[in-house]
Amino acid sequence: MVVDGVEARRVERPSSPEQLADALCTAAAAGEAVIPIGSGRALGLGDLPERFDVALETRSINRLLELSRADLTVSVEAGMTLEDLNSELAAAGQFLPLDPFNSPGHTIGGLLAAGLSGPLRLRYGSPRDFTIGLRVALPDGRLASSGGRVVKNVSGYDLNKLHQGALGSLGVIVAASFKVYPRPLHQLTVETEAGGPDEAWNAAERALSLSMPPAALEMSTEGHGDFHLLARFEGSSRGVERTAAELGWRQADAALWATHAARASDHWARISVPRRSLPELVRAIPAGQPWWCSPGVGVAHWPEARIAEQVAALRSAAERAGGSLVLLAADLELKRQVGAWGTAPATLPLMQELKNAFDPGHALSPGRYVV
Amino acid sequence: MGLPNGVLRELKQIVGGHQVVHEANDLKIFERDGSISGALPDAVVLPADRDQVAAVVRLAARHGIPVVPRGAGTGLSGGAVTVKGGIALQLSRMRRVLRIDPASRTAMVEPGVVNQDLQQAASRHGLFYAPDPSSQKACTIGGNAAENSGGPHCLYYGVTTNHVLGMEVVLADGSFAWLGGEAPDRVGLDLLGVMVGSEGTLGTITRILVKLLPVPESVVTLMAAFPTIETASHAVSAVIGHGILPAALEMMDQVTIGAVEAHYRAGYPTDAGAVLLVEVDGLQESCGELSGEIERILKENEATNLRIAEDPDERELLWAGRKGAIGALGRIKPNYYLHDGVVPRTRLPEVLRRVGEIGDHYKLPVANVFHAGDGNLHPNILFDLRDAGVMDQVEGAGEEMLYAVVEMGGTLSGEHGIGIEKNAFMPWIYSADDLEAMLRVKRALDPAGLMNPGKIFPDPEREPRLTARAGFCAEARWW
Ligand SMILES: Cc1cc2nc3c(=O)[nH]c(=O)nc-3n(C[C@H](O)[C@H](O)[C@H](O)COP(=O)(O)OP(=O)(O)OC[C@H]3O[C@@H](n4cnc5c(N)ncnc54)[C@H](O)[C@@H]3O)c2cc1C
Repeated sequence: MVVDGVEARRVERPSSPEQLADALCTAAAAGEAVIPIGSGRALGLGDLPERFDVALETRSINRLLELSRADLTVSVEAGMTLEDLNSELAAAGQFLPLDPFNSPGHTIGGLLAAGLSGPLRLRYGSPRDFTIGLRVALPDGRLASSGGRVVKNVSGYDLNKLHQGALGSLGVIVAASFKVYPRPLHQLTVETEAGGPDEAWNAAERALSLSMPPAALEMSTEGHGDFHLLARFEGSSRGVERTAAELGWRQADAALWATHAARASDHWARISVPRRSLPELVRAIPAGQPWWCSPGVGVAHWPEARIAEQVAALRSAAERAGGSLVLLAADLELKRQVGAWGTAPATLPLMQELKNAFDPGHALSPGRYVV
Repeated sequence: MGLPNGVLRELKQIVGGHQVVHEANDLKIFERDGSISGALPDAVVLPADRDQVAAVVRLAARHGIPVVPRGAGTGLSGGAVTVKGGIALQLSRMRRVLRIDPASRTAMVEPGVVNQDLQQAASRHGLFYAPDPSSQKACTIGGNAAENSGGPHCLYYGVTTNHVLGMEVVLADGSFAWLGGEAPDRVGLDLLGVMVGSEGTLGTITRILVKLLPVPESVVTLMAAFPTIETASHAVSAVIGHGILPAALEMMDQVTIGAVEAHYRAGYPTDAGAVLLVEVDGLQESCGELSGEIERILKENEATNLRIAEDPDERELLWAGRKGAIGALGRIKPNYYLHDGVVPRTRLPEVLRRVGEIGDHYKLPVANVFHAGDGNLHPNILFDLRDAGVMDQVEGAGEEMLYAVVEMGGTLSGEHGIGIEKNAFMPWIYSADDLEAMLRVKRALDPAGLMNPGKIFPDPEREPRLTARAGFCAEARWW
């Protein structure tokens, strides 16, 4: 197992949360550096590891723990893939509204730790909005849970959120519970083209200001002055029909969403800014290069993030707008030059306090995350 | 306890002499929140702005004095009660809506802004703020964020944490931190997510950036009567099980209906065992289609007396009854003790039966008025504080009800918080390791333990009786 050119000295494949906690504790006590690994699909994220002794794989911890159809909740272990979970849910007429890029194959734990989401975030929010429980293995061998399996819960601190997007730097996610959604009564995918950026953004704005805005809206370009817009509407059949008629885009194949979710690159960046700044940011992507974005969310993906000066320039534009540019994958040289994360947040000292409280020996993914 | 010498003078220098309350008689107003147990603060301080908040907190930190932020004091778990004395930081003077940005659909507010006032300010732009606690005429956005409050419309729209984009906090040492922000995917640990719902134990919120939503085109409100709570609960499960997530789905039992009708004449049938209030919103077409479908499901599940509000006035009236229900119960007994457990929705009939049995056993009337769609029950134990020994009975009954909730895979609180009311029961749902993880956050952000001490976590100093009884309940979890 190799992360950013560094090979693990050994690989552990625990088959239960308890085994994983033991393995983590043993390694941490011996001063070893541990990187938790799910499917490996998001391993490009993060700075270069300072040390790497143990690859801790979660894929064999993959049971469906509870699917409570009428409660619209589900609990799974971290190593289950999103597709496996969604096929279980589909049998119950439900789904987890999470559609990350570089699909299929992500594990649930990896998705949460990497803080990934996709087009459906427009309607459903990110996993932080529908995760209702989390179980995490800590470097001292404890298995700590937060939340539960009910859809509303304010008992104790919301540590469900603390571990999301933390890249496993405070603990290793071993299981999670979610609020899931009934399959929409009716869905319709529509698309259109635009010949220039102004036309494209106007079209997006019009879709977003409909009385019933789309559940997902994506804009993309191959970089040749071509713009493609893809939208999905969900709801009652008459509501969806009326909305599609108002918008006037042509009907498209729903399979386009899977094609879209498969997008990835070995040199890609995610630009996240307040919605209104997104047009300006994607305009700053070097001419002739492709990108895709969620205009209603404020997130763009740039699959040709290869040249340090270009990345640095876009990153400072994103940070000036109050957002960020994060490298989702890049070669070692680029990571060395510009770093994966960008300017550290002003609250870094607080984050360091938390890191030290959870992982005092810095056993977890040293060097890779912000703390 | 009392404040160290000279502190009162320094406090007055910071906020002005009139903004410090310290006379024993005046302090009584700040003894409790919306719940039962109280404790007097040593002083109440009313800062005018964030810099005064920071100065007060720095002063308190220097002297090792506890600080308890306080909004409107409508909390129902003793969150704002100064159990360890110290300074109550009353934030009601900080009540400006600083900015509403219709283009980005956000609002920046001070913590003392009353929920209803934000709603009004937003409505001028065709927008609304989704979390709508029944106490919204009084409670503050700061209190809502600290408790992660819910409300009837949170079934579809989500609770406070889903609508807070960022906040400024004064930490325990008096320093400022800005958490979150308008851009998605913030780099670094999600401190914002932890701060929301932390009940004032990690810092004082001095500014809040919230999401606003466009007012839906159309709203349909249905009221349906059922012969029993049980049939109404089954109807709730049936609606959700059909893949319909209404904007709101609320239940009231017979005791509540009687009290509400006497007060509001909202038109709830007083002979019904339970009433459901269901609302759908969105496009006109969708509302028509969905409400038709809901009507069909409710009828299949023994609904009688189904009514659709004809106009906004009638809808307002139906909601006024629901939102005013707790106050209306005062007609039956002067005091109430309100619990807030959540069960997986399908366990509602069972848990409500159990709640009824416990009330009967203790000979205490219980009124249920709650967020049925979320499985969030609110058994209201009615009593008269003047009856000798009644508090022991009320607390005993409440404890048994909560234990029943936990045994059915539920949790202690869905929206009111843990505070000093349920902290002794935390070990029912969380193991020692779970609580230790939470305490690590507390110790990292407030090493001296001065922010709202004695809350959320079991406090052996205060509750020997309760902590002795507590033990982990495996049914609360699936792992
Ligand atoms: C009749 C009635 C109906 C209610 N209905 C609902 C309901 O439908 N849904 C619901 O969720 N709740 C409900 N509540 C409970 C209560 O109104 C909420 O918890 C509310 O959010 C509390 O707001 P407050 O301003 O009154 O806060 P307070 O009671 O003053 O404080 C609550 C907690 O927040 C902390 N706090 C307050 N302000 C700040 C700040 N600026 N920074 C940090 N910490 C702070 C306090 O320390 C305390 O721990 C109801 C209460 C009543 C009396």
